[in-house]
Amino acid sequence: MSLTLLFKSLLQRKVITILLLIQLMLTLALVSNSILLSQQAYTLSNQPTGLQLETTLAIELKPTDENLIVHPALGELIQRQLAELRKINGVRYAAFTNQTPLMFGGMNGDVFVPDHAETSSVDAVPYNYAEAGLFDALQMTLLHGRWLSAEDKNTDNVVLTEKLANRLFGQSHLALGQQISAGTVVGVVADMMYQRFASDQYYGLFFNRDLSRADYGYRLILQVESQAVAAVRQQINQSLRQVEPEIDIQHIVSLRQLHRDVFEQERGLAILLSVLSALMLLVAMISAYSHALFHGVQQQNEIGIKRALGASKRRILLEVLSESWLTTGIGVTLGLLASFLLQQQLATVISLPALPLWLPFAGALMLLFCVTAATWYPAAIATRVSPATATKAL
Amino acid sequence: MDNLLHVFALAIRNIKRAPLPYLLTVLILSLGLGMFFSNATLYYWLNHDPLPHKSQTLFYPQINATLQPCDSCTEPLRVLSYQDVQKLSSSGIPSAQAAMFQSAGYARLPENTRQSPTPVALRITQRDFFTLFDVPFLHGERWADNSARRELILSKASAERFFGRTNVVGEALQLGNELYTITGVLDDWTMLPRLYDVANGLNSAQSADIYLPWETAYDLGIKSNTTTMSRDSRNYSDNFAVNGREGDFFQAQFWVQLDTADQVSAYRQFMQQLVQSEKEAGRHPRPEGNRLTNILDITEHFNARNRQLDAFALVSLLFLLVCLFNASHLSLNRYLASQYEFGLRRALGASRGQLQQLILADVAVNAAVALLLSLTVAMVAMALINHLLPATRNLTSWSPAMLFAMAATALAASYIVSLYPAIRASFGSLNRQLK
Amino acid sequence: MITLTNLSKIFRTELIETHALREVNLQVNEGEFAALTGPSGSGKSTLLNILGTLENFDSGDYLLDGKSVKGLSDAALSKLRNEKIGFIFQSFNLIKDFSIFDNIELPLRYRGLKASDRKQRIDQALELVGLHARRDYLPGQLSGGQQQRVAIARAIAGEPRILLADEPTGNLDSLMARQVMELLEQINQRGCTILMVTHDPEQARRAGRHIQIVDGQLHDSTLYQPLSQPLHQPLAAVQGA
Repeated sequence: MSLTLLFKSLLQRKVITILLLIQLMLTLALVSNSILLSQQAYTLSNQPTGLQLETTLAIELKPTDENLIVHPALGELIQRQLAELRKINGVRYAAFTNQTPLMFGGMNGDVFVPDHAETSSVDAVPYNYAEAGLFDALQMTLLHGRWLSAEDKNTDNVVLTEKLANRLFGQSHLALGQQISAGTVVGVVADMMYQRFASDQYYGLFFNRDLSRADYGYRLILQVESQAVAAVRQQINQSLRQVEPEIDIQHIVSLRQLHRDVFEQERGLAILLSVLSALMLLVAMISAYSHALFHGVQQQNEIGIKRALGASKRRILLEVLSESWLTTGIGVTLGLLASFLLQQQLATVISLPALPLWLPFAGALMLLFCVTAATWYPAAIATRVSPATATKAL
Repeated sequence: MDNLLHVFALAIRNIKRAPLPYLLTVLILSLGLGMFFSNATLYYWLNHDPLPHKSQTLFYPQINATLQPCDSCTEPLRVLSYQDVQKLSSSGIPSAQAAMFQSAGYARLPENTRQSPTPVALRITQRDFFTLFDVPFLHGERWADNSARRELILSKASAERFFGRTNVVGEALQLGNELYTITGVLDDWTMLPRLYDVANGLNSAQSADIYLPWETAYDLGIKSNTTTMSRDSRNYSDNFAVNGREGDFFQAQFWVQLDTADQVSAYRQFMQQLVQSEKEAGRHPRPEGNRLTNILDITEHFNARNRQLDAFALVSLLFLLVCLFNASHLSLNRYLASQYEFGLRRALGASRGQLQQLILADVAVNAAVALLLSLTVAMVAMALINHLLPATRNLTSWSPAMLFAMAATALAASYIVSLYPAIRASFGSLNRQLK
Repeated sequence: MITLTNLSKIFRTELIETHALREVNLQVNEGEFAALTGPSGSGKSTLLNILGTLENFDSGDYLLDGKSVKGLSDAALSKLRNEKIGFIFQSFNLIKDFSIFDNIELPLRYRGLKASDRKQRIDQALELVGLHARRDYLPGQLSGGQQQRVAIARAIAGEPRILLADEPTGNLDSLMARQVMELLEQINQRGCTILMVTHDPEQARRAGRHIQIVDGQLHDSTLYQPLSQPLHQPLAAVQGA
């Protein structure tokens, strides 16, 4: 059917057409921005972590007996607990620490190079008070110098993550032997994702120190054989209770779970918007379906006439489809603009990357596909109109 | 009455005659409304004024009193030190004032030493807390003054949990290693959003189980389990009773009630003079950064809005719009299909007013079905949102007023959706329809 | 040109079988003007629909130009209709949103003609029915007689070999009916075969051949009269007449 005739017929149904166009426009805007958000969430949660997410378990616990939360009773309790945990089949390494990677919040402090206090100061760097065994428990990689050993116990000797060392000294190997506000640098390890909302998610400092108090509880990190993770998890509770019943085991989680929680907000919103997009596509499909169905009925007579004048079923099908393609085409064109507008509006509220051009186009294709699929059946029904009956009607 | 029944019977017969288009219309309307309701519920609980009669009088003062010099640090810390609280409490201007922070502990009945203790959420605070935020007492009363005392106030749920009853004033409860006497039991109380704890981003968390006096906490070394900051090299694991009170250890929120504009300006002046004299004494090396923030501005002040929900709110509004357009489109089709009948009725002598009645009955039936469906959709949607964004878990209840508003919205929406189609159908030219 | 042999059509519902046409045999030659009459329900519309390939039949055969239409695909039947058959309906069946011009253009588009060819044919057809000045009107703006003339223009613009008319004057007053009849006769003289269903005995008499249907069976009461005009005269020649 000719484009001019299609336009004419659209113009005749102004209100319906406008309703349809607005709806298609908004749908495309939402679909492309949901894809954008999902993409962002995906990128965020696929950043390297430097951690063994599946095989590392973190236990967060706190003594409920106040006599046990102070050094040295605390240190002695921790060692007994670790010894018991190491007995579990499948546990390769176990160590305590005052904070877990990927956990929201923790103990943070400023770090600077004393000679360049003004220029080198970095705030909110996670301070890890742990023991030598944490290296294996977190499966760290040593880049320069050495890891902490028994001699470093309760000294100011400190190990930095690579990114922090780079930040303080330009090149990470230059950090070795240097004095920083927190102590003397003895080693540099590869980056691990520590606290997302610290100055940088890859910053971290490590000391070999006893915990003097556990007002905020403490953490035990286990490195587990990959096939034994579930079995180990089940035994942890009992093992720890055996050592000391007066404890509150707050969480036993894999780093994978913590990692998921870190990006919960982004992931959650991306999923919500995707659900909403799917609903919008569904609504667009229902609309296209009922539009085509209704017009099939309304235009029975017209279709009958056309059939009598020699239009084949294929041709009628094409006519109905091309009408919906035209509307979708116009709606989608408006929707491309709306996509960018919505992206701007959303970017004022949440952090959102720019919308790449291909994305709304891909969304447009998807929308076109959905609309076509939804129009097909009622359009096919419309072509089945008996021309003999239809031309008699009225 | 007879007429009313007639129009409703007709409305229902109309549905029966063409159930699919009708169902689709209502389904789409309900999807839009449901998503919108779920979001509006969360948005309401996060943004409404929890104390409309006095929110104008509640303020959060901050001074930039950190002892570490820093010329570029113009913004005061979010939380206050013991010293800050002491100084800001000394004005005598507010009609109520209280410092507070959140902590956690383990509680048990004193005779029950064999059983392991129960984790409890604590709020460390002063006696005016209960006045500031209109906290209702079921039994007993708040502390006599702000001095240290081994007395605690329980939430109703905690009283029931530990004792199985609510009137437990005078009973003893062990918290950590210490024994406390219960001096008060609160009635059910939740303040949403929890604006007094926004500094920690806890605007939708549960209320505390146990309230403990401020000075007692410092005596016993109970610290906040949320934001704490130290700006000096004291060892706060040791002798907190002294270090915590004297040192640069920041953990408290502080609220004052200033009933009149005069009180507000007097308090501002007091803060200025305080900072001035502190500067003279060499205890305020940083630039002046006095803030006095009203409780309704506190979320913005601490940049603690839930941006994800804001974004979702925007989008769900668009979705509602799309659904309205769509439902309107569908219902136009539905009405056009019954145009013939409309025409026939008019030919039989029905006035436009009578036709309007028919349409209104249709709208009412639509609205009722759409309301039920949309509430279902909203519940499912909220469950999904809660699952994906756990911070929203406490924000899902519906008050009667909210339900009423939703019913009104459903009615308005289905009226809007039917309005244009109905006009088209009933005002079309008679002869054309009947020909 | 049209040959029906033992053609039957049965309408079935769950309860009843209705024999709309029983073993019909019919031969229509090129250039004939045949009137089809019969009481309502006798099957005359069914016959017309089958002749126009708008409806299937159950048994027998239908040869159009010597070729059976049985088993032809929808596309082939549509092409056949478009090229060889023109329809005129009692209720005109113009598409009311389309202008007169667009209405006539429709079958020409289906044939895939170039825009210039289409325009030329439409102009000629409109001249013939005397409505050239109204080409941009909508059907609703014309009288019933004018609308039927547009429908005729639409039917003949594609130069069909056969024109099937289903009570073309049924909705018209006598003056307009006469105009339409004259137009049809003019077209027939040009060589176009016409089959017309009618209730009007006067019209039936005017047609060269009168076929009656009763209860789905044919009674051919008029003798075939050979045509005096040459076959397939160009449209322009008729216009001049």
